[in-house]
Amino acid sequence: MLALIRPDSWDLPLFFHVLGATLTFGAIVTVAIVGFAGARRDSERAIWLRRLAFRIGLLVLVPSFLLMRIAGQWIADKEFPDNGPGWLDVGFIVTEPGAVLVLVMLILAWLGSRRRESRVAVVVPWLATIYIVALGIAWFAMSAKPGS
Amino acid sequence: MSLYDWLLFIHVTGAFFLIGGIVVAGILNLAAIGKERRPSEVATLYGLIRFAVPLIGLGLLLTLVIGLWLVHEAGYGYGETWIILAIVLWVLASALGNIDGRYQRRTGELAQRLAQESDTTSPELRARLVDPKALAISYGSGLMAFAVLAIMIWKPGA
Repeated sequence: MLALIRPDSWDLPLFFHVLGATLTFGAIVTVAIVGFAGARRDSERAIWLRRLAFRIGLLVLVPSFLLMRIAGQWIADKEFPDNGPGWLDVGFIVTEPGAVLVLVMLILAWLGSRRRESRVAVVVPWLATIYIVALGIAWFAMSAKPGS
Repeated sequence: MSLYDWLLFIHVTGAFFLIGGIVVAGILNLAAIGKERRPSEVATLYGLIRFAVPLIGLGLLLTLVIGLWLVHEAGYGYGETWIILAIVLWVLASALGNIDGRYQRRTGELAQRLAQESDTTSPELRARLVDPKALAISYGSGLMAFAVLAIMIWKPGA
């Protein structure tokens, strides 16, 4: 019932956080879709699609992720200046190791976009899928706030 | 966890599906119109946009149905300004999205046909891809969904 009693000063960071999270979800789903389409080594469009997946990751996913994370920290500092509850920790677990996963995915996407025979290109859409699941867990924790 | 918590989670899931689907379609559409592409490339991108359709459809359904249930569960009134505003924008976004979906499907079919014929750039396809009216409908529909998100946070008039 937090939404019913939320102070007005939390609205802007919350909006940016949710906006960043939904954009991150859309961007990572796009990386997964384009990545799976480009993963086949016999496809004549493989290189083009892998480059596209890399560019979407770099130009859409990374800024969206930063918006989500920075705005998330902004509202967490306002709402829980000292210790946060367990559901908040889930958000940090998804974004901090998640940042490493996104970085690894981008490096592999770049490597995979250089050669059609590259094996790493297959890994990219699967890493994106893992991150989609992690985001799902985070939005469950953030919205349902289990244990609070 | 209370019923309210579960409903909020499902409602938020609907919002993620809806806006996520719009983002997928928007990115792939931008990739198609960004530069002069061969019809086969446009057909490939438009083929991938199809994956966004179930996300958007499910998102529309969950945001409205569970959203209305949440209004009752949380004790808001159905006549409150922010709820009426959100429903009006939801209906407008859906209607415009529907028009856009049919236009995009025909563009995809044209790209597919041209790809099978000569796969050379076509002024007809290019004109459809950058048609200002079609782009206004497409991006207008998407922006309305983002406006609903803002309304959900600020709840004007609540």
